[in-house]
Amino acid sequence: MARFANAKGPYLRMTDSPSYGTGAIQRDFLIGLLPVILFAFYKNGVQVYLDGNIAFLEMFYPLVFILTGGLMSTLLEALYFVITDKSVRTMKALGKKLAVSYAAIPGLLLAMIMPLYTPVWVLIFGCIAGTLVAKMLFGGFGYNIFNPALIGYIAVAFTLYGVIQNAGGALNASEVLIDAAGGATPLGALVEGEGLTYAALVAPYGNLLDFFVGTIPGALAETSALAILISYVWLVARKVIKWFVPVVFVGTVFVLSWFIGLIAGAEGLWFPLYSILSGGLMFGAVFMATEPVTTPRNPLGKIVFALFLGVFTVLFRFVGDFAEGVATAIVFMNIFTMPIDNWTAIIRSELGGKEVFVKGAPKVKKPVSKALIKGIILAVLILLIALYGVLKAGGMFTASGWIMPLFGRLF
Amino acid sequence: MILNQATGIRIDGKKHMSKTTPMHEYLNPRFVYLPLLQQNSPLKRTVDVGATVKIGQTVAVREGFGAMPIHASVSGKVTAIKKVWHASGRMVDAIEIENDQQNALDDAIRPEADPGIFTRTELVQKMQNAGLSGLGGAGFPTYVKYQAKTPIDVVIINAVECEPYITCDYVMIEKYPEKLLKGLKYFMRAADAKRGVICYKNYNVGIAEALKPFLSAYPDITLHPVKDIYPAGWEKYLVQQVTGRSYPNLPAEAGAIVDNSGTAIVFADVVEHNIPLISRAITISGEGVKEPKNFLVPIGTPVKELVALSGGYQDGLDPAKSYYIAGGPMTGRAIMIDELIVNDTLGSVIVKPMPAERNHPACLGCGRCADVCPVFLAPTEIQRAFEMNDKDAVRALNATKCMQCGLCSYVCPSHIEISDFVLRAKELLRK
Repeated sequence: MARFANAKGPYLRMTDSPSYGTGAIQRDFLIGLLPVILFAFYKNGVQVYLDGNIAFLEMFYPLVFILTGGLMSTLLEALYFVITDKSVRTMKALGKKLAVSYAAIPGLLLAMIMPLYTPVWVLIFGCIAGTLVAKMLFGGFGYNIFNPALIGYIAVAFTLYGVIQNAGGALNASEVLIDAAGGATPLGALVEGEGLTYAALVAPYGNLLDFFVGTIPGALAETSALAILISYVWLVARKVIKWFVPVVFVGTVFVLSWFIGLIAGAEGLWFPLYSILSGGLMFGAVFMATEPVTTPRNPLGKIVFALFLGVFTVLFRFVGDFAEGVATAIVFMNIFTMPIDNWTAIIRSELGGKEVFVKGAPKVKKPVSKALIKGIILAVLILLIALYGVLKAGGMFTASGWIMPLFGRLF
Repeated sequence: MILNQATGIRIDGKKHMSKTTPMHEYLNPRFVYLPLLQQNSPLKRTVDVGATVKIGQTVAVREGFGAMPIHASVSGKVTAIKKVWHASGRMVDAIEIENDQQNALDDAIRPEADPGIFTRTELVQKMQNAGLSGLGGAGFPTYVKYQAKTPIDVVIINAVECEPYITCDYVMIEKYPEKLLKGLKYFMRAADAKRGVICYKNYNVGIAEALKPFLSAYPDITLHPVKDIYPAGWEKYLVQQVTGRSYPNLPAEAGAIVDNSGTAIVFADVVEHNIPLISRAITISGEGVKEPKNFLVPIGTPVKELVALSGGYQDGLDPAKSYYIAGGPMTGRAIMIDELIVNDTLGSVIVKPMPAERNHPACLGCGRCADVCPVFLAPTEIQRAFEMNDKDAVRALNATKCMQCGLCSYVCPSHIEISDFVLRAKELLRK
C-alpha cells in the first residue's frame, strides 16, 4: 500500500511545461515592446545623430530614458514590498515577490508614452503615481483596477504639462529645427483649432505615409504605426493579446472620425486616417486596451469594452480640450471593467451554443431574458455616446453646419 | 470562441503509451469486490456472506431512479462485506467474492436462437435486466435513455476517448468490431432510430480500418471522424456535430441517444447471449507505470493486481510526489491509497509524477478560461460571485451549465484551481 499525493483536478495542466505560464506571457509582452522601442531609438536618437544635431552619447538617451522608467518602477515596487510585507526580509524573498509581480512593465510603458524631453524627476513622479498608487495600493499585480502606466501618465500630464513643455517637450533636436507647426504635435494642432483641413493637420508634418511610418513629432515611442503593427502581429501570434480588441477600438475611431469629417466638411479618407495615425491611439489600442488585468476577461466583454473605448476616445479627443483622448478614455473605462465583464458574461453564457429542438419535443417556455435587456442597454449606451460625440465634434468644426440648427441647444 | 459552437483545444493525447499493446484478458482474479454504489445511489445487497454465486447471478439491486440488478462477475463464495476504495474517492461497502475458478454460469446466461425478433420494449427490458450502465464514465443507466418519450432518429456511439492516456475503447473496438456494429444495431432498434453513427477521433484510423470489412452489412450505420480536440467526446458536442442540433439537458431532446462504444459491445452480448454487465475494459497507463496496458477484467477486480501485471510502478517513483488517478487526467480524481477496485465507470487508472513546483502569480485576467469554455461561461466571474457568496449572481452566470471538463484549470497560466471554484459555486446553489 502506498500513499499518493492529493490534489485538485485536472492532473494535466499547461503550466506543467515550464515554458507556459503568466511569466511567459509577460516575457512575450516585453519582447513585443521591442520594435516600438527600437523605432523610438532610431527616430529620436540615431536619425538625429546622423543629422548632426546631437552628440554620439546623446543618441542613446531615448533608450536610457525608457529603461529608467522600468528601473524606477521596479525599485519603487521593491521598496513597497520591503516596507509593507513582513515576509520579505531577504533578497531571495524579495526576488521571489518581484518575479511574480512584473514590476518593470508599467514603468517602461509610462516612459514610452512621455515626450522625449520629460525631466527624469517628472518620470519618477509618474512612476510613483502609477506603480505605487495605482498598482501596489490596490493590492499589486492582478488586483489593480486602473492601468498603472496610464494613471502615471495622466497624473503627470494634468499637473506637470508646463514643466515638460519648458524642458523641451516632444520635439527632438531635428524636429525643433524644421518646426513647421509651432511646436505642436499633430493632435495638438487639432486642439489649437485651425480647422479640419489637410493643409493644417497633415501637410506640416509631411504626408500620411510619414504618419504611418512614424517620422512625425509625438510622444517618445508612440508615433510609428508601422512598428506598433509589427508588435501587434507578434503579440497576436504569441496569444498575448486578442486580435480583435485593437481592431475594434481603432475601427470604431476610424468610422466615427469619418462621420465627423463628413459633418465638418473634411471629406475624404484622409481625415479618419489622420485620426487613427496620430496621437497615442495605435499604441494605446495594442498595448493598453489589451492589458489583461484592467480589462474584461471574456471575449464578448473585450469587444464591448473596445467599442466603448472607441466612442469615448472620439468624445474626449474632439470635444474635450485635452489633446490626448486615448489615455483618458482607457482609464475612464477601467472603472467599468467589472460591470461590463459581469454583464457580458451573463449575456454570453445565455446566448452561447444555440439550442434547437426537434419536432414533438416538449418546449420549454422562457421568460424574457435578462441577458437580452442587458445587451440592449449596452448597445444603446454605445450608440448614444457615439452619436453625441460625432454630432458635437462635427458641429464644433463647422461654421455653417446643418446639424446644430437641427438640434438647437440640446448639446 | 465568442458565441458559436464549442471549439475546444488540442491536448497531447499520450495514447501511444498503451495503444499498441493488445488487450490483456485477466478474467479470473482471486477475489473481486463488487461495490455497493452506482453513481450516487447505494445498492441493496441481496446475497449474504457465505452464499455461493455463479457468474451473472444477481447479488445486489439498485432502487429508485434507474432501478436494476447488479450481477456477480465471477463464480465462487461470498466471503465478506468489506470497505474498498471506489473511483468516486470514497470508501464504500463491497461484496467480496472468492473466485472458485470454475466459471460456473447462471442459468439465465444462454444464447438466443434468433436475436433479431426482439421488439423495442423487450430490448429495453433486456438492458434493465442486464444492469447495463454507461461505461464511458458517467455510469448513467442505459435503459433510462431508451425510455425517452421524444422521437429518436439517431443513435451515436461515442468512441472518441478525448481524455489523454485512455485507449481501452480503441483496443476493444479493434478486437470486437463486429460486436460493436451489432450492439449499435440493437440500440437503434431499441430506440426506433433510423441512423447509427460511430464517432471517433480522426487520427484513430485503426477504428475505421477495423470496422470497414463489416460495414457493408449495415447500410444505416456511418462513421463520423471528429476533430482531435478536447472535449470532442462530450455528448453535446457529438450531437451538435452529427445532427447540427443542440439541447438543454438530455440528448433525447435533440432526437439523439449517445452511448459509449464499450456499452454497445456489452449490449451485443446481452442480446445474443444474455450475458449481463460483468466485465469491462480498463487502461493502466501513465509515466509512473512500467508497461502501460489495456485489460479486460471482471468488475470488482483490484487495480493493484493490474498494476502488477503492467510491470508495477516505475523504479524510483515517489508516491508522495505522484498522482494516482481514477479515470482520465482531465476529469478523473486523485485517489490517495492505491487500493482501488474496478467499478463500472472506471475506464483507466493513470499513475503519473507531479510536475515540478513553481512560484505562481495571481490571476492576470487573460481570460483564457472564458475563451476555451465549451459552454461559454466566464469562470473568473463565477469565482468572484462565489467568493462573495452571491447565489443570485452564480445563477445569473449560468454556472449550472458547467460540465466540469476542467479546461479552464488546464489552460490557466497562473495555475489557479478555477474549475474547482466553479464546482463549489454549483454546490452553493444546491444548498
